[in-house]
Formats: sequence, C-alpha cells, structure tokens
Amino acid sequence: MTSIRRQLLLWLLTGLALAVLAAGARIYTQTLAEANEMFDYHLQQMAASLPNDSFGPLPPSSTQELEVEDGLVVQIWDRNGLELYFSRPASKLPQRAELGFSTVKTAHGSWRVFSALEQNNVVQVAQPMSVRQTIAAGMALRALVPLLALLPVLGILIWLTIGRGLRPLNRIAGALGRRTPDSLDALPQDKLPLEIQPLVQALNELLARLARALESQKAFVADAAHELRTPLTALQLQIQLAERAKTDAERATAFANLRQGQARAAHLVQQLLTLARQEPGVTAQPHAPVDLAALARLVVSEYAPLAADRKIDLGLSHEAPVRIAGDFEALRVMLGNLIDNAIRYTPAGGVVDLALHLRDHAAVVEVSDTGPGIPDEDRTRVFDRFYRREATQAPGSGLGLAIVKNIADRHRAAILLENRDPGPGLRVSLTFPLA
Amino acid sequence: MRLLLVEDDAMIGESVRTGLQQDGFAVDWVQDGRAAELALETNSYDTLLLDLGLPRKTGLDVLASLRRRGDAIPVLILTARDAVADRVKGLDAGADDYLVKPFDLEELAARVRALLRRKSGRADPVLQVGDLAINPATHEVSLAGNPVALSAREFALIHALAARPGVVYSRAQLEEKIYGWGQEVESNTVEVYVHSLRRKLGANFIQNVRGVGYMIPKQT
Repeated sequence: MTSIRRQLLLWLLTGLALAVLAAGARIYTQTLAEANEMFDYHLQQMAASLPNDSFGPLPPSSTQELEVEDGLVVQIWDRNGLELYFSRPASKLPQRAELGFSTVKTAHGSWRVFSALEQNNVVQVAQPMSVRQTIAAGMALRALVPLLALLPVLGILIWLTIGRGLRPLNRIAGALGRRTPDSLDALPQDKLPLEIQPLVQALNELLARLARALESQKAFVADAAHELRTPLTALQLQIQLAERAKTDAERATAFANLRQGQARAAHLVQQLLTLARQEPGVTAQPHAPVDLAALARLVVSEYAPLAADRKIDLGLSHEAPVRIAGDFEALRVMLGNLIDNAIRYTPAGGVVDLALHLRDHAAVVEVSDTGPGIPDEDRTRVFDRFYRREATQAPGSGLGLAIVKNIADRHRAAILLENRDPGPGLRVSLTFPLA
Repeated sequence: MRLLLVEDDAMIGESVRTGLQQDGFAVDWVQDGRAAELALETNSYDTLLLDLGLPRKTGLDVLASLRRRGDAIPVLILTARDAVADRVKGLDAGADDYLVKPFDLEELAARVRALLRRKSGRADPVLQVGDLAINPATHEVSLAGNPVALSAREFALIHALAARPGVVYSRAQLEEKIYGWGQEVESNTVEVYVHSLRRKLGANFIQNVRGVGYMIPKQT
C-alpha cells in the first residue's frame, strides 16, 4: 500500500541527503583547489628559502632533519646527481629532473613535487597529496556532519507535519465510519486544509444526492404500500362476498367482481414494477436504433381491441420515417401508457390519434384524444406518482404518466400536455431530439 | 337501519354496500364529499361510513362541517391511513370509530351495530321489548324464548321499531329504513311486512296510529 506520509518522508529525506552530499562534494573540491594553490605556493617558498650552501654530502646516518611541516619532504642534489640532503629517507621519492611543479604517483600515494635549481643544486620539495585531501575532506566533513545530524530531526519533523496535515482525513474517515446507512447529513467542512476541501465537498454532494434518492425511495415505498391497500381491501371484501353467496347467481356476480379486483391489483403491481424498472439510475437497456413508425404501428395494433371494446376510433393519423436511438421496450411501454390513458378518458364514440412528425431536427410523437382534457392547474401534477385527478371515474393506478415521464427523461424527450383548440380533447406531444 | 357510505373507490364501495345489505342494513352509497353532504342534508341516516381520501371534499372536512351543524350521527371512518396521528385526528374531528383498510365485512357490520347500540344508549347488544328479543348481530328474533323466523325486510322493520319503543314512524320513514337508493319499493310494502309480522308475533305487537304510522308501545 502506498502511504503519502512514507513516500513524502522517503523522497524528502533522499532529496535532502543528496543535497547535503552535493554540498559536501562542492566544499571538498573547492577546499582542495584552495589548498593546492596555497600549498603550491608554500612549496615554492620553501624551496627558495633553503640554505643551499650548508649542504655537504650526506652523512650516512644522518638524523638531522630539516623540520618539515605538512608532510613536506625535501631533497637536494648537486649537479652531479649526488644526493646532498634528504629529509626523510624512508619516503622514497623518485628523483625528478623536471623543474617546476609536477604530480607524481608512487606506491605511497600521489605526491606534489616542486623542483628548482638553486645555484648548483637541485632542490626538490614534495608533499603527499593526501595531506591536501585530508584537509579538504576535513573541511567538507565539518560542514556536513551537522547537516547529516539534522537529517533524523528533519525526518521526525516531516513525519509529524504530514501526520498533522492528514489528521482531518482521519477525522473524516472516523466520522464516516460511525455513520449508519440512513444518516446522510453533510460532513463538517470548517477547518479543513485546502487540499482536502474538494474531497469533502464532493463527498457532501454525493451524500446529498444519496439522501434525496433514499428519501424518494422511502416515499415511493410508502406510497406504493398505501396504494396497494385499496385493491387489497376490495379483494378482501369481494372474497368475503363470494364466500357468503347463497345462490349461483350471487356467486357468479361475486366471482366476476373478484376477477376484476384481482385484475386491478395485478395491473397496479405491473405498473409499479414498470416504474421501478424505468427509474433513472437503474441499469437500462443500451440504446439502439428504433424505428418509431414501426413502433407506432405496433402499439396502435396492440390497443386496437381495447379501443374497439370502448367504441373508440383509434388510428395512426400521420407517420414519418423516423429513427431514434432508444430502448425499444421502454418506448413501447411509454406509447402504450399514453394510448391507454387516452382510451380510458375518452367517452365512447371518441377518437384517439397517434401521429408521428419530423419537425426541426426532432421526432415528434403526438397522442390526441377527444376526452375532457386536463385543466391547467393539474398539468404538472399529473406526472406525480399516484396522483389521480379528483372526480376521476376511469380506473387506473395513477402511475401511467409517471412512467411516461421517466422513460421520456431517459430519452431526453420533452413532454407537452395541451388541451386541444378547438376542444374538447388532450394532446400529448413527445419531442425527441435527433442526434 | 339506514347507512350512508361515502367511498370513492368503486370496487370497495360496491362490495361494502352489498355486504352490509346482506347484513340487513339499507345502504346509500356516494363517491365524493359534496355528494355526501347533499345526501346528509336530504335524508336521515343512522350511521355514516366515511372514507377520508375523497375527491371534491375530504372526509375530514365533511365530518367537521357535520359536527359544526350539531349533527350527532354516529360516524365510522374507513380509511387506508393507519398512522396513530391519523387515527387521533379522525377521532378528534368527531368520528366515533376508526377502521383501517383492508377490513373485514363482519367486523365492519359489528362496529356499525355497536355504534347504533351506543346511539340508543344501550349496552346490551340484544334488544329486548317485552317478550321480544332481537339480536342485531345474528338477526335472531325470539318471542318468549321461542325463535321466530323473519325475512331480511321483516327484520329491518321490527329492528327499526323496537330500537325506539313508543316512537311513531311514518310509512315513508319505515320505507327509508328498509330500502336504500335504487332499491325498488313495492307499493303497500310496509303494510305487507307489518301484516306478516303481526301474524308471527301477535296481532297487537305493532300498533297502528291512524293517519300517522306505526309503533311498538313502550313496555311497562
């Protein structure tokens, strides 16, 4: 698992360590360069200041040493190459004839050598490079050690700061963890770091949407249960009457009523199911090309028997070759509900027309009837679930138009209800945008 | 006993009316609040069965204006609203009883009988007038302990008269008690039933008040 805290700590400390090392390297090279300059000068001075005359041939076991500092070694030869003086016999330095500065590699490390011709003698002053390197390294280390010692302290500080910064996240996680499924009020948004605010805000918006969805679901279930009571009450009464029936005629009537009651309850349940399936957010069928004209013919032929039964002239009055992207079954349910409504509310002898037009890059489906129409004040409420207009005599679940609305919304279709002019009658127009 | 049923659902209304008629009640049925008020103004009922979710005028409004007019008719609310708050509201608005849908026909009839009993100030479910005992729940009638077989209309007539001994009912009033709307009233029907009741219960049990109507005298 990735941890922001651990990653930040790791990368910050690595970066810091690299910076410290780079600084150390820079200090080292700079100091070394300065030391070189200084010591070279020193070597030169040394060579110049040697008392040349005093040297005779070396005594075999000379313990006399010219005091040399900084590991300096002095060698003096005469012109003939005879060693006159060697300050430190142990250190073997190659005899160099080259005058001036040179760097010599020996088995004991690198040496910086300065040779000069003083009168008749060759004076060579040498110094191991390690001396200069040690000095440079020492400088670098003195600068680095406090910085390196600071690293753990910085690490702890970073750890604590990030922990502090992330604490609101823990707080939110805790608050969310303690929630019950139905406590969906917003999380507190005050005193939040800038970086976490968008997250909490998005969470709050989600919670609000969930709360609304849950609320409407609860209301729906309550409404549905309430609405189911009516057909169930009728069924219970009808069953009792059937049980009480004493004559065959009474029994036949009772059973006919019972059958009607059962059909009504079944219709309501069917509509509830359809509505639940067409709820927004429910995984719906993917949209496919739908031939609206063919669909219109199909729905009209499906409802022709019902229309004939009610003495209503149902027909397809105009059609246009229109295809839209949609869910065929849902569209069929929608058109069916509209035509069913029109047939139910239109008195016998009336006309119900389905028409299909192509207007301004939109497919328009119209269902018009010669029924009583809907007064202006009820036009929006009729789409509410279980809303049935007062004094409605036609049987119904009160769900038909709610289902139509859901399906239309899913197809981004606009619904318009208008009373026909001249009346009477209602016209329902569905406008589908054509892609 | 004549009841007014106010119920907007056709199937429920139809079934309740049929069921209560089978129990010997005369039932008038209307489907909205306004029609209920009109019926209450033009007829007299022994009990009102009231749905709450009514078109045009809600049941609670009908009840409120009824009580405001000082009408003490027993009211039984029939509704799908089962929350305690709804029951309290209904009872506080002046209802005498509250029955939640779905309900049982037998229970409905029993509650109506209880309301009628309370209205006439009796606690005993059996009406007793002299030797005559009438049980409205079972429709059993007995005279000095011997069961008497009566038709539904005969029962309705004797029940109406025995509920208020000493009160004279006109022929029209008695017809109202026996028949609901739409039930065809045969001519001389009250006379016919009084005649057969006299045959079964004794000639002087129901007395004719000439020019006014019929009564069962108060027993001393």
